[in-house]
Amino acid sequence: MPERDLIDQFDQAIDALLSGRPETARFDPELATALVIAADLRDLPDPNFKARLKGELMPTTTEAPVATRHSVVPYFVVQGAADLIDFLKATFDATELVRFPRPDGTLMHAAVSIGDSIIEMGDSSPQYKSLAFGIHIYVADCDAAHKRALAAGAISLHEPMDQEYGERSSAVKDRFGNHWYIATWLEGGPVRPGFRTITPYFHPVGADRLLNFIEDAFGATEFEEVHRSPDGKIAHATLQVGDSLIELGEAHGQWQSMKMQLHLYVDDCDAVYARAVRAGATTVEPPADRPYGERNAWVNDPFGNHWFIATPKA
Amino acid sequence: MDERLLIEAAQKDASRFADLYEANFNRVYAFVSRRVGNRQEAQDLTSEVFHKALANLKRFEWRGAPFAAWLYRMAANAVADHYQEKAREGEFPTEEISDDAMADAERRASLGQCVDRLPKDQRRVIVMRFVEQRSIREIAEDLGKSEGAIKQLQWRAMQNLRAQMHA
Repeated sequence: MPERDLIDQFDQAIDALLSGRPETARFDPELATALVIAADLRDLPDPNFKARLKGELMPTTTEAPVATRHSVVPYFVVQGAADLIDFLKATFDATELVRFPRPDGTLMHAAVSIGDSIIEMGDSSPQYKSLAFGIHIYVADCDAAHKRALAAGAISLHEPMDQEYGERSSAVKDRFGNHWYIATWLEGGPVRPGFRTITPYFHPVGADRLLNFIEDAFGATEFEEVHRSPDGKIAHATLQVGDSLIELGEAHGQWQSMKMQLHLYVDDCDAVYARAVRAGATTVEPPADRPYGERNAWVNDPFGNHWFIATPKA
Repeated sequence: MDERLLIEAAQKDASRFADLYEANFNRVYAFVSRRVGNRQEAQDLTSEVFHKALANLKRFEWRGAPFAAWLYRMAANAVADHYQEKAREGEFPTEEISDDAMADAERRASLGQCVDRLPKDQRRVIVMRFVEQRSIREIAEDLGKSEGAIKQLQWRAMQNLRAQMHA
């Protein structure tokens, strides 16, 4: 029997099984063992129940962090978003949260969680051009994740090494041109205290100007003292925006400027939008209520990074 | 890890019970679900068994019998109590757990573990179809795939499970 017929027949048999109807149809004998398994699957426990009961029994244990939407959520725009999801699953054990395909199979929008963080993405289109990101990501084992990244098609920018600032890290570039700074915090890690699993990392030409813009536009504060190189340029800065961090350092060597797109969740989209425009942002789309449950505005900063300033609707 | 060490760790620190729970959840659920009428009752009794096991863990003495045997006994008691309460009269003795009953529970528990090992997209379809009892059309709409693609995933999952169960 052709496989497609078997697949259809099997589904009819499952329908009968699940609805408790007597099986009147005659099924291909090849399905017999599969139907025995299907019958047992009716008693499969609900994974939500299993997780809930575990939570009841061990309310004080700390399990893997639950990803929640933070103030800053990177929004990747690439050609081949589904492949990016596969890369993130293979390398960082990402969990797919949603996927909305267009009729042509490309992705209009999708989101995955990694550790306590969420990454959104969509396929590029004439309106949304591909962008490349720099992401600092904490993992349990930098060396193992680095290997997985290479196995999933990334190229190594530098091999894992112990850094003087307390983490072991490596860097890879995925096939879309995104940089991943893969790190394990060495002192009681894997995530550096105060950080999320994922932090966007800018390498602009003129890091001071971007730092000033993010402070002026979004009320960011310096998370720690800004490190400067001997020429006075920013070697590394970490800014706190809402409950999230953003890192930046002057472009140098192979770490050159890339345009990123960030979803920035704030309490008052209109007020932050006005502030961003005053700070030098240009408007692409003014604030408006969107059908997907948020009011947002799209502005570009003077470096060409996209910011979606959003307030979820109550 | 050696089961005895897991038990001793959990007896000292209740938060370590998580490992025992993970290792035995499917067993208890499989045993109970075979003996009650619906999913809600199976969940209630499974919950009761694990709450009791955690509360009585310090009293568990290692005598060489697997921890699962202790849980099966507790599960059989919970099932008997459940029917006793429902009937309000008559005696419902606790089932003597035969080798066949144990083997049946173990087999169905291992099916649960095989499902856990399926690729994520296949696992998701199996859970939506059999646990949430949703139609192929509903699953297709939810996952943004065609009905044909969902049927295909369901079929691949079943082939995977068949291979794993007969490995």
